[in-house]
Amino acid sequence: MKRNRILVLVKGELMRLNKYNVFAISILIALMWSAILYFLDSNILDKVLPMVLLVDATMMSIMFIGSVMFFEKNESTISTMLVTPASNAELVLSKVLANTVHNMFSSILIIGAFVWIKHVEINYLLMFVGITLATAFHTILGLFMAYYQKNFTGMLVNIMIFAFGLMVPTVLYMLNVIKGDWVQYLMALSPIQAASEVIGGGFTTYTYAWQYYFSLGYMLIGAILIYRFLVLPKFQDYAVKQSGV
Amino acid sequence: MFKVEDLRYKYPKNKEDVLKGINFEIKQGEIFGFLGPSGAGKSTTQKVLIKILQDYRGKISYNDRDIVAFGNDFYEDIGVSFEMPIHFSKMTAMENINFFLNLYKRNADVESLMKRVGLWEDRNKMVGEFSKGMKIRLNIVRALLNEPKMLFLDEPTNGIDPANAKVLKDLVKEFRDNGGTVFITSHIMSDIDQLCDRVAFIVDGEIKEIDSPRNLKIRYGRRELILEYKEEGKTVRREFPMDGIGKNEEFLELLQTKEIETLHSGETTLEDIFIKVTGVGLRNETE
Repeated sequence: MKRNRILVLVKGELMRLNKYNVFAISILIALMWSAILYFLDSNILDKVLPMVLLVDATMMSIMFIGSVMFFEKNESTISTMLVTPASNAELVLSKVLANTVHNMFSSILIIGAFVWIKHVEINYLLMFVGITLATAFHTILGLFMAYYQKNFTGMLVNIMIFAFGLMVPTVLYMLNVIKGDWVQYLMALSPIQAASEVIGGGFTTYTYAWQYYFSLGYMLIGAILIYRFLVLPKFQDYAVKQSGV
Repeated sequence: MFKVEDLRYKYPKNKEDVLKGINFEIKQGEIFGFLGPSGAGKSTTQKVLIKILQDYRGKISYNDRDIVAFGNDFYEDIGVSFEMPIHFSKMTAMENINFFLNLYKRNADVESLMKRVGLWEDRNKMVGEFSKGMKIRLNIVRALLNEPKMLFLDEPTNGIDPANAKVLKDLVKEFRDNGGTVFITSHIMSDIDQLCDRVAFIVDGEIKEIDSPRNLKIRYGRRELILEYKEEGKTVRREFPMDGIGKNEEFLELLQTKEIETLHSGETTLEDIFIKVTGVGLRNETE
């Protein structure tokens, strides 16, 4: 019987995330966030919970895919993947899918805890779509960032720059610290802000405006473009370099 | 099976070609060896043949079809063992094997392969706990998982003990005897001598000679007989030309009158021939 190669690859990626304790760390972080959020007042929780989900789907996605890439780099396993019938597209896609599934799992943990304990109201379908798009986009971005870093420390520095450059303005915008007509257009260009909008759309209290639909398109089309034109063409070079050539 | 014509390759950061127009053919059912010092272009050639390095010049055909025309189904036919052990160290040997096994249409009998290389008992151990020799043996199992028609082995016995090296060599010979074709790169003369049906000497990206180890020895070897015999309590050594040995009276008399200790033909080792042909030692020093 012909097996679905993508499924085999995704299963393998998830298995390695588990074996290399990335899953365990992810669950620990989810539990930590849940504990912190549990003690927050309901008024603050409405603001902080979307932020936590945003950090989880964006920064943590980049960090986790970075760790996977550098684990593979240390073991040179990527070169052995190149000589299997799996295509480069399947290899990259499996990493994106596995990271998205993995991140969805920790997000569900956080959301589940708050739906159950604090009775937060969620539109499950839109939340699923939002987290999936935000995670997939940032995983693809993380893959691209990993190509140009020699080690995980370099990757972390990039993530910090990314966080300060894009996450901080988004958080300030969410908290209404920065506002104004021109700001909303400027912020629409930020992938973190786009992720914030698509995740925000999963809360029943969210007010839908043009930003939501623009962000959905941004995440979807952006992910496809980065994957197609930046990540996939460079994968072979990256993999060959990791194989010690 | 594989035909390589005027193959040239340059690494992006290099000024010069690493492979400088090499030509050779690997015939179905043979073990073809690439013997050369480090940096000669052996592994680069292998990486080009297995389509890891793609920006080469020249033509490579597999079963009379340009390898460029093959998609990833090419890898259904080939098995590759890299020089370095390449496994997921936090997974067991069987977890590693099962993961790769599911990527292929054809699957070999894993239990039999693992038993053959002496790893069956350790199949549920983390690969990170394996010795280098065990990891290299697992490399070979990994390469044979899809019942390949062609096997590529890069320095397969490098860094493993003689007993394990023998296990691997026997496995490779058995693969060939069952109809498989093998391309092997090595700087270890004995591997090539014991395994290969034909060998190419490669130095600085150029092939200097291709033939069977036997033919090379006949062609480049000294045609002489070396005789050692006892005389007055001491060992005396004499050398005689092979030509006309049956009529060489001195030689025949020694055979009849002396206590012979050893009698050898003046066969030259492959390493000596390599040096003679290329002017370079296998440890990369100019002779």
